[in-house]
Amino acid sequence: MDPQPQPERRSFLGLMIGIINTGIAAFMAVTLGRFVAGPKTSTASEPEWLDAGSISDVPDGKPARLNVTVAQDAGWAQFDNQQSVWIVKKGDNVQVFSAVCPHLGCSVNTNANGFICPCHTSTWNINGQRMGGPTLRGLDTLDHKIEDGTLKVKYQFFKQGLAGKEPIA
Amino acid sequence: MRQTFSRAYDWCDERTGIRTLIRHALDEPIRGGARWAYVFGSILVFLFLLQVVTGIFLTMYYVPSADHAHTSVAYIQKVIPGGSMVRGLHVYGASAMVIFLFAHLAQTFLFGSYKGKRELLWGFGVIMMLIVFGFAFTGYLLPWDQEAYFGTKVGTSIAGEVPVVGQFQQHLLLGGNNLTTLSLSRFFTIHTFLLPTALVLLIIGHIYLFRVAGAAGSFSVRNDHKVELFYPKQLLLDSVGILLVFLGLVWMVYKIPAQLGPQADPTSDFLARPPWYFLPLFELLKYFPGKLSLIPTVILPAVLFGVLFALPFFDKRPTRNPLHRPLATTLMVITILGSVGLIVASKYQDRKDPDASAKLKKQEEDSQAFLKAEFKPEEIGKKPEKSAPGAAAATIKGEPPDPYTVTCSLCHGDHGEGAEGLGPSLVGITSKPNRTKEDLLKILNDPRSYGLKDPMPANFPDLSDADKHAIVDWIGAGK
Repeated sequence: MDPQPQPERRSFLGLMIGIINTGIAAFMAVTLGRFVAGPKTSTASEPEWLDAGSISDVPDGKPARLNVTVAQDAGWAQFDNQQSVWIVKKGDNVQVFSAVCPHLGCSVNTNANGFICPCHTSTWNINGQRMGGPTLRGLDTLDHKIEDGTLKVKYQFFKQGLAGKEPIA
Repeated sequence: MRQTFSRAYDWCDERTGIRTLIRHALDEPIRGGARWAYVFGSILVFLFLLQVVTGIFLTMYYVPSADHAHTSVAYIQKVIPGGSMVRGLHVYGASAMVIFLFAHLAQTFLFGSYKGKRELLWGFGVIMMLIVFGFAFTGYLLPWDQEAYFGTKVGTSIAGEVPVVGQFQQHLLLGGNNLTTLSLSRFFTIHTFLLPTALVLLIIGHIYLFRVAGAAGSFSVRNDHKVELFYPKQLLLDSVGILLVFLGLVWMVYKIPAQLGPQADPTSDFLARPPWYFLPLFELLKYFPGKLSLIPTVILPAVLFGVLFALPFFDKRPTRNPLHRPLATTLMVITILGSVGLIVASKYQDRKDPDASAKLKKQEEDSQAFLKAEFKPEEIGKKPEKSAPGAAAATIKGEPPDPYTVTCSLCHGDHGEGAEGLGPSLVGITSKPNRTKEDLLKILNDPRSYGLKDPMPANFPDLSDADKHAIVDWIGAGK
C-alpha cells in the first residue's frame, strides 16, 4: 500500500490536526493571558489623610523631609510602606511635595537653590517650579492640612514623564 | 499574503533547514500503520509541556517560603482570574502524567517494543518514570497545606530509613533535620529547575533513540508489510487523544477545583494519606512492621525498577506477541491487579475504621470550607494601630483574674490590650486560627510547641491548672 494518502485527504487530515492544536493553544493563551493580567485593580478610592509628623519641627524657609506610612495592596499581602515628602514652610504658608521625581521616579533631594534629582540632574526651585534638566514638570504637590499641630497629607503616586500631573489610579 | 508567507518561509529554510527538519519529523514510517495504541507517548509529551507552561506561570505568584507559600497558593486559587484553572491543570495534569506513563509503559511492554536493540531507549524511559515520581513527590509539598506538610513528612521519613545513605539523603533533601522553610526552598528548586532540566534532556534522548531504532510497530507479523507515515494519520490520532485528555482535565477542574486545605500546622494530629499512585506502597507498609518496612518502601520498588531497567538485556527472544510471552504478561497482570487491589484495600480499611473515616471526613470538610472561604491577604510590616489621642486601645471586658495580672499583664497589658514590642493584643484572639481556648491552654502548657518565641516564656511553673483555666476563660469571654 502507498504510505501516502491521497493529497486531498492528506490536507484534510492536516487541517483537522491544525484545528485541534490551535484550539488547545487558544484556550491556554486566553487562560494564561487573564492569569498574567491579574485581578482587576479596584477603582481608586480617595486617598486617606496620613500623619506626616509635627509641623513645628519644620524650619522656616528650608525644605524638610518627613515620612508617611502608605498602605499598599500587593495581591496576597498588604504592605505598609514608608514614603518621603518634602515640606517647605514660609510663615503660615506650607507646601508639600512628593519626593518622587516626576521624570523617572528617583528620589528628589535638596540643593542650595531648592531641589535636585541626583539621577538625571533635573532641578526645581524651593517652590517646586521646574528650573532645568530633563523633567517636564514641577514637583508634584500633595494635598495637606494641619490639625492640632500635626501635618496630614493625602499621599498619591503620579504618572511620570508627562508635562501634567496625573494621579495613578 | 500567501506569497509573502511563502517567501518568509523560504528565507528561514535557507538559513535553518527547517523544511527538511519538519519533513523528517513528520515522515516517520510506522510499521503496521497508525494505531490508537501508539498515542500515549505523544500524550505524555503534551502533558509535560502543559506542566511546564502552567508551572512557569504559577511561579509568577507563588512564593517558596513557609510563611507565604500557602497564602500565595490560596491567592492563585481564589483571586487570580484563571488561577483555579491554571493550578487545577497543573495538579490534575500531574496525575494524568502518572496514568499515561503507566499506559505508555504497559503498551510498550505488552507489544514487546523494548526488543531489538532498544535497550537504551527503554532505559531512558525507565529513568524518566523515576523523574516523574520525583516531580510528584516534590510538587506535593509546595502548597504547604496540611496534606502537603504531613504527606511529605512521611515521605521524607521513609527516605531516611534507607540503609547506609538514608540519614544523609534525608538531611540533603530537607536542608536540615526537619521539614522547614529551607526544605520548601529545596523542594521548589528540585521541582522547578533540576527535574525539568533532566526530563527535557531525557525526552530529547528518548525521542532521538526512538527515531534511530524506528517505531517497533505492531507485534503481529501479518501486518508488517503495511507502512504508514506519522503524518497525517498517526499525528491526527495523537491530536485527538491529546484533545480528549485536555478536555477531560478542563472538565475535571471545572467540576472539582484542585484541593487546597488549611495552612500546615505542625502541632495538629492530621491524618496524612498519600496521593493515589503511592497508595499501594502505603498499604503494603501496614503488613511489614519494624525493620521489615524496608521491603515495601525500598526493596520492592528497587527490585521493580531494576527488573524493568534490565528487561531488554535478559529478554532477547524475538517473540513480541504477549500471548507467546506468558511469564512477562502474567507478571504485568499481577503487578496491575496487585496495585489496584492494594489501593482498594487501603480505601476499604479507611472506610471500615470509624475513627479514621470520621477524621478523614472532617479533614475533607475543613479543606472544602477553606477553599470556599474568602481570601484574606497577609499583612506585612503593619505597625500597631496608633490610637487616636484620647481614644483608649481595645481591651478585654471585665476584671482580669489575679494570675493574669501577676504573670501576663506586663507584656500583654493590664486588660489584654498588648504592649508595643513586648506582647500582642489578646482582644478577640480566640476567633483567630489556632487560638481557640483549647489552643490557649496548650500554649500556656508549652508555648514553644506553637512556635512562640522569646519574650514569651518557655513555660509557666507558677501557674496551676486552675490559674490557666481562669486566664483562658477571661480572655475567651472578652471577644
